[in-house]
Parts: sequence; structure tokens; C-alpha cells
Amino acid sequence: MPHRSNTVFIVEDDPSVRDALALLLGLNGLSVVLFADAESFLAARRPDWYGCLLVDIRMPGMDGLTLQRRLRESGSWLPVIVMTGHGDVESARQAFRSEAVDFLEKPIDHSRLLSAIEDAFARQHLRQDDAERDTAVANLLQTLTPREREVMAQVVAGRHNREIARQLAISPRTVEVHKARLLAKLQVGSIADLVRLSLRAAEKDRR
Amino acid sequence: MLPVSQAPRQVRTARAAGIAGARKGNPYVVFPIPKLRRRRQNGRSINPRRPNMPKSATRRPGWRDALLLVGGYVALDWASHIHRLHGLDVTPWSPAPALGLLFLARFRGRVAPLLALAIFISDAWVRAPQLPWLLACGQALQLTAGYWLIAEVLRRRIGSKGVFANRPGLITWVTIIVAGTLLNSLLLIGGLTLTGHLPQAAAGETLLAHWLADVTGILISMPLLAMLLDERSRGRLRQLLLGRESLSLLTTGGVLVLTFFAGEMSELRYFPALFLPIAWAAARQGLAGAVLTIGLTQVGVVVGTYLLGLSPLALIELEVLILVLALSGFFIGVVVDEKQRVSAELQQTLRLAAAGEMAGALSHELHQPLTALLAYTRACQQLLAQGERGDRLRDVIDRVVAESQRAADVVSRLRDFFRTGTTRLERIWLRELLSSAAARFATQARQQGIELSLLPAPPCALFADRLQLEVVLRNLLANAFEAAAERPPAERLVRLSAEQEGAVRVCITVEDSGPGVTDQMAEHLFEAFQSSKASGLGLGLAISRAIVEAHGGALWAEVADRGLFRLTLPIEEATSDAA
Repeated sequence: MPHRSNTVFIVEDDPSVRDALALLLGLNGLSVVLFADAESFLAARRPDWYGCLLVDIRMPGMDGLTLQRRLRESGSWLPVIVMTGHGDVESARQAFRSEAVDFLEKPIDHSRLLSAIEDAFARQHLRQDDAERDTAVANLLQTLTPREREVMAQVVAGRHNREIARQLAISPRTVEVHKARLLAKLQVGSIADLVRLSLRAAEKDRR
Repeated sequence: MLPVSQAPRQVRTARAAGIAGARKGNPYVVFPIPKLRRRRQNGRSINPRRPNMPKSATRRPGWRDALLLVGGYVALDWASHIHRLHGLDVTPWSPAPALGLLFLARFRGRVAPLLALAIFISDAWVRAPQLPWLLACGQALQLTAGYWLIAEVLRRRIGSKGVFANRPGLITWVTIIVAGTLLNSLLLIGGLTLTGHLPQAAAGETLLAHWLADVTGILISMPLLAMLLDERSRGRLRQLLLGRESLSLLTTGGVLVLTFFAGEMSELRYFPALFLPIAWAAARQGLAGAVLTIGLTQVGVVVGTYLLGLSPLALIELEVLILVLALSGFFIGVVVDEKQRVSAELQQTLRLAAAGEMAGALSHELHQPLTALLAYTRACQQLLAQGERGDRLRDVIDRVVAESQRAADVVSRLRDFFRTGTTRLERIWLRELLSSAAARFATQARQQGIELSLLPAPPCALFADRLQLEVVLRNLLANAFEAAAERPPAERLVRLSAEQEGAVRVCITVEDSGPGVTDQMAEHLFEAFQSSKASGLGLGLAISRAIVEAHGGALWAEVADRGLFRLTLPIEEATSDAA
């Protein structure tokens, strides 16, 4: 599945650190976008940004942890790597509660930074794949007729053909036909797969 | 031999005998414990002469100590001996037992025989001997045993902290002395009455006189004697005696004593007026001041009594008054001493806190350039690996140099602070302090187009640590400069001024034309890690405040439409010829 290009968004108040990280990551073949503070990042942010966010905790104005929380609250799933020169348990706890990918202490070891960025991208890809699969399932479900959807609900609930027929006031033979068309349309080979697919769709609806 | 003194001696002999016995092959019967210990220590080179018993910190009394005790006791007894009551010599106050108690507390039982000897000699020499010598001997022994008991109780209850370290210590001391001397007097007078050397009718009166003399003598003179016997306290007393402050104090006390001795002595009307100089001395100089003034009063009273030929009964009354004065003075003195100690500890804590904050700041301040350095050098490696040799590499190396310089600056700033971490108080002229602080910013002012004005400071001196105050002023001025630099070029102003507030304080003001401090900012401005600056550490103000407070001053920001920081400091003195 093709992924959109990944970018590392760096939010760091210290110009030298920003510049040095950009240079190093650039040399490692990553595209980098720089921000001097959290506010300008939030102002510029677009929902289709992919990649990861590399943010310093201590900044004038909004700090890194607040920025991370804001992102989560606005429903963004951009993975976040937190950097700090002054690591303490409380800020690490906060960062991981907001699902930070990693918590790096300055001075930052570059191999750890690169592997954290890799993790972040992997997480982003997983989520992207997930999202794409979700859309595909939704699209497939759209192709079902109302009657097929009714039959699917009964099948997933674990009822036999005979029961379904009685419930929907049709013949068991017709239930068989609907079921076969249903499986073909949703591109699943078995009832078990059908159940799995419907659970996934239900879960997505809950989200 | 009494059990208390026997115990250590017995053990010592036991150990010696045990070791000797081990060689003879039958130690177990003699002294089992040393034998067992020796067996356990087998093979290890442990000095057998060092006792495993808890070592007592007391040393043996030398010849000088013995001479001091006996001579001092007799001399004190002689000086305080005045008259005779019912055939028994009673002094209105007896300071000599205080000396005995101090020696007993210091050398424990070892000086008991010496003390008994001193009591016997002074009885025989100062007073015409009335009693058979055997009884006098018994009397001396009984008194010694009583004092020994008091000294032991004192040592146990108060311990090594010293009697006069705090209020509970003082109260315990008074209680033990009062109760102990009562017991002692009871035994003494009871013994004399029973053996028929004292008429039964006079027993009560004699008992009261003897007890009062002991209580007043010990309570009044023991602190002074204790200070005289202790080398450090001697230094403090000498310092007080030679300083100009105490001289005026002592004269006040002396003049007071003399004036009313010359006046209506017998009425004792003005005696309580002595409370004033004693309380003053105690409040100003702590226990040492109280001890000195009380000592002076006591000497004045004794001398006055001799000169005026006063009735010894009047003197007894006077002694009770002095006792009340002395106890009040000691209490004030001890409280003042405690307060001073606490405030000194607090200042030390503040300084440590400032140093701790500085160390915390180090991590952030150094981590920024180090992070950049690490990334730049990694980039250099990668560029080299890619075969890059030209401008790009040179450019990155230039940045490495700049970051290294930045890290070095942080370290030197920290070194500056820790150099100031140890306080070196000296007299500094306010004018010089301000002008040198302003001079440091002259170049920056020119470069940034900021108008820096220094108003003439009042001619006063501070007693402070120059480097620390320079750190404070540098912090405040650096903040002011950053704030002013945000304004358009024509409106960039920084002003440093100072004015005297009353006779004891000076207020230094740092103003800038920047946006100033808002209400919410003022609340957290001085907390650590509250920075509004991109590159700041958020510690400058916290440390500055700690430093100023350690100097007994205050530092605060005022909410205004411009930057306005004020700090007050105590001044040493104001002079007109300072310039």
C-alpha cells in the first residue's frame, strides 16, 4: 500500500538545536519542517500532514507537553517524540500518557533519535493502513442491499438459516442466496471472516 | 568508692587481668568476658589496649586543673564569705560550688577527692574551725557527694549539647540545681542538728540561708564560670569585652550599680532598674552579654556591701533580686542565641538552594549547545562519509565552533556563580558597585542603540559579597536590556538608580522602557524555570532573590507599563565624605 511522504516536524525554541537537528536529519534523507514555537506549529498544521512531530518540552509560551495534548484532543494521530534537557518522571509520565513514541533526553544520541523516528513512522503507517482498510470495509458495506444487510446482521448474531428465514419471513433457500451474494460482495471466504469484518466496522463506528 | 566511678576502673583492670590471665591458661575463672572477646579477635591485629567499652570523652584532670579547682574554690569561698549564723558560717551567696559542679561535670568522679579537699581547706582556712576535724571531714565528703550527684544528673539530663544551648536546657538546669542544692542543704543541716552542733530552733533558718546561698551562687556564677573555662566562649567574652559596643554597656551597668549604691542602698528601691541594661545586653549579644552584665552586677553588689558595711541580711535579699535578674537575662540571652543560630542556618540553606538551582540550570543550559554540537558533529561525519570536503563541511564546522563557545560561556558563568557561592563579606561602596555594573553593559548599549543612564547614587557603603551582588545586578540589567531591545530604536531606555531609605536601607531601582510586568507574570516571576525568553534559563531572578535575601534584603518587580525592578539592601553606614 503506498504511503504519503513522511516529514519530521521539529518544534524547538533554540535556533542552534533546531538547525543542527534539521541538518542531521536532512543528511539522513528525511524531509524536515521547522517551527520555533508550539503556537506557530498549531497555526500552520494541516490534517493531511504525515510523519512525526519532534518537540522540546521546555519552550517559552506553550510547552511541548501541552502541544502534544492539544494535538490528541483535536483528533490528530501524528506520532510525537518528546525531547527534554531536564527529564523527570512526571513529564515522562505525561508524555507517555499522551502516547508519545519516545522520550529523549538531551544531548540526544542520534541513533536513538533515528530509531525513534523510524518507530514513529511505522506507527503512522500502521495507523494509515488501518485507516485505509477501514475505508475499504466501509465502501464494501455500502454495496450491500438493505435485505442483505439484514441477513448479515442475523448471520453475525449466530443464527441458523432456518431461524433467519422465520425472522425475516422468507424461505431458507432465499436466505442461502442472500448469504452467498453477501460473502461475494464483501470479498470474504467464510462466516468467521464476515464476523471479523463486521466487528471491525462496529469498532470503527464506536470511534 | 562509689559505684559510678568504680565501674570503668573495674572494667579496665578486668581487661588487663583477662589478657594476662589468658597467657596463664586459666582466664575463664577470673574474667570471662575479656577472654571471649580475645578469642573472637584472634588473628586480627587489634590493639588490646584500646578498650572496647564506650569511651568516655572526658580526659584526666592535669595539675593545672587540680590547682585551678582547689585554688579557685578556696578563693571564691573566701571572697564570698561574710558572716556567721548560729555558729555556722553562712555566706549570702556561694559561687564556689558552681566551680566544683563544672569540674565534676567535666572530669566526672576523678575530681571528687580534690573537691572534698578544697571544701575542707576552705572550711578550715576561711572560717575559723568550730567543728571537730572529723566532722568537718565528713561534712566536706557529704557536700562533695551531693555536688557530684547534681553534676551527674546535669550531665545525663542535658548531655553534650551544653547547658545553655536552648530554653529546655536552661529550665532543666535551674530545676536540677534548685532541687539538688535543697537536698544537699537538708542533709548537711540535718546532720549538724542531729550531732548537736546546731540548736534545733535555728535549723530552719540556717537551712534556708544555706540553700539560698547555694542556689543563688550557683545559678548566678555557673554560666560565667562555664564560659571562662571554655576556650571558645572565652574568645567570645574577650571579643565582647574589647568591642566598643559592650564597653558602653558595661559602663551603663556599672554606673547604675554605683549610683544607687551611693544613694539609698538600704531601701533597694532602684534595684530593678538594673533589669534594663541586663535585658539590653542579653537582647543584643545573647547569653554572653547577659553573663557579663550579671557578673558585673554581682561584683558591684559584693564590693558595695563591703564598702558600705551593709547588713548581711540585706545582702541576702539583694542576692535573690540578682538571681531573678540573672535568670531573666539568661532566658533572653538563650532565646536571642537560638534565634541567631536559626537565622544563620536559614541563610546557609538559602545559599545552598541557590547553588542547587544553579546546578539544575546547568543541565538545561549545557544540554542545548551539547545537543546541537552532537548533531553537528554527526552531520560532519556523514558529510565526510559522503565524500564532502568543501564549503558545506566548512560551514558546519563553523557552527560547531560557535556552539562550543556557547557551552564554554555557560560553564564560565556557572563558575562565576560558584565562586560567589562562598560568601566573602566586605565593605563596598554603592556607587562603585553600580558604576561597575553599568560599565559592563556600555558596549552592549552602544551596539543595540540603548540609552543606559546611571543616576548618582547616595554615598553609602554595603557590607556584602561583591561578586554575588554583581551577579544580581548583571541579571537585572540583562533582563532590562532584552526588554528594551524589543522597542523601536528611539524608545530604548535602561535606567539604574539608587536612593537611601531611612538610615539603614538603600533601594536600587532598575527600569527599562520594555513592556513591563503584568499582574499574572509578577506572581511567578521569581520562581525557578519561569522564563519568558527563548534562550533563558528562568533562574536568574530566582537566584538573584536568594542572594539578596541572604544579604538581608528584598527583591521584587512592580507592575507597571515599563520594566521596574527594585531591590533593597541594608547599608553599613552613610557618610558624607564617601565620594
